[in-house]
Amino acid sequence: MIDPVTLATPFFILAVILEIVLSKLGKTRTRYEGKDTLVSLSLGLGSTLAGLLTAGVVFAASLWVYQHRIFTIPMTAWWAWAAIFFLEDLTYYGFHRISHERRVWWAAHVNHHSSQHYNLSTALRQTWTGGLNGTWLLWLPLAFLGFPPPMIAIEKSISLVYQFWIHTEAIRRLPAPIEAVFNTPSHHRVHHARNPRYLDSNYAGILIIWDRLFGTFVAEDEVEPPRYGIVKNLGDFNILRAVFHEWAAIGQDLWRSRSLREAAGYLFGPPGWSPDGSRQTSTQLKAAWARRPSPVTASAVVPGLVPGIQSQAATAPTGGSSAQGRG
Amino acid sequence: MTPAFLLQTLASFVAILLLVALAAWARIARPTPVLDEDTARALIAEEFPDHRIGPVWVADDGAAAIARSRDEALIVYRAGDGYVARSLSWSRLAEAKASGAAVALKLGDITAPRARFALAEGAIWPPAIGEAGR
Repeated sequence: MIDPVTLATPFFILAVILEIVLSKLGKTRTRYEGKDTLVSLSLGLGSTLAGLLTAGVVFAASLWVYQHRIFTIPMTAWWAWAAIFFLEDLTYYGFHRISHERRVWWAAHVNHHSSQHYNLSTALRQTWTGGLNGTWLLWLPLAFLGFPPPMIAIEKSISLVYQFWIHTEAIRRLPAPIEAVFNTPSHHRVHHARNPRYLDSNYAGILIIWDRLFGTFVAEDEVEPPRYGIVKNLGDFNILRAVFHEWAAIGQDLWRSRSLREAAGYLFGPPGWSPDGSRQTSTQLKAAWARRPSPVTASAVVPGLVPGIQSQAATAPTGGSSAQGRG
Repeated sequence: MTPAFLLQTLASFVAILLLVALAAWARIARPTPVLDEDTARALIAEEFPDHRIGPVWVADDGAAAIARSRDEALIVYRAGDGYVARSLSWSRLAEAKASGAAVALKLGDITAPRARFALAEGAIWPPAIGEAGR
């Protein structure tokens, strides 16, 4: 079977080189930091190796479900590819949303977001533990519908390849019709931002229409550039910390939990949930942001803190949090 | 494990090293100028928007800063070309001991185990900064 990701890997490498060279020549505002790049690329390679451990189980499960399928969908029909394009992309939206909004799945996904940079190497910063927490189950209904497992695997890879190029600051905005329909660098910058107003938004894979449909779309505001990373950024570049920190934190919380309800909350509640409310979830952070009269932006006085932004006036939030797009 | 897989993995290792070397050679990291009191205060205010920030202490190398908000210590420190922010009780901050010209503060956080604060000669620890109300 032809794997689009394997085919695209040389282009990934060339694109990273191009982005670095263009930045060096002053043609783009992209930033690269050596240690951050090392962690991101190592996470990419490690993800491929870790994926091999669970690939057999995932494929076997897909085959088993496919044997009990409702329809038989031919891999050679154009309409079948059109159908799986939309259905896989919708499945990805669901997977991605649950990966942000429920902690046990966030634990596997967080390493994709823990860089304070947003460049093409960030795209390769993939999970090592995603195969273990069962999100692959979400794709089984496609096999049950009758899509052959190799077809599903190819479409998943096409989605992954598509999502590579949008991890860049080199491209600002694309023509409006493209921004309206597709996930673009601008939309995905918002997704990677830790500014409260941008949290938990733009979960799209290829098509941004799902976010628009389900109320999770937030447009990039030039007045408030994205600050990348996670709410509590990592304190160093230890790759094992980058992979396992949320799992370790969950373990600590489960150890300290005093009831099954608390344990369930720590596992399946949103990231930031705590029984005593001493931590903050994205919803609470966004609500607090909306209440503030005039948030301070450090980029106003720390040049370069936000890539490419040399100075910026403090900005006030506009409207309530509901206007910022959480569904 | 096939020879082709091993070759592919080895090639990936080499590609990673070359890309990291290129990124380091290009020197295109984010500029992180030495913090002064104004920049440190702005940074802390952005990270802790619901706290009232009083006087700010800046480490001797300008790579970290501390503000006090009631009984909380609000800290920021540089990691690579970015900053990391955490808060902890002022008493825990005060318990840390200076070693040489620096204090290594254990944060008790899996994601950020310790922060380092460079001290000027003769500097006292904890920093003598007043507290501000929340």
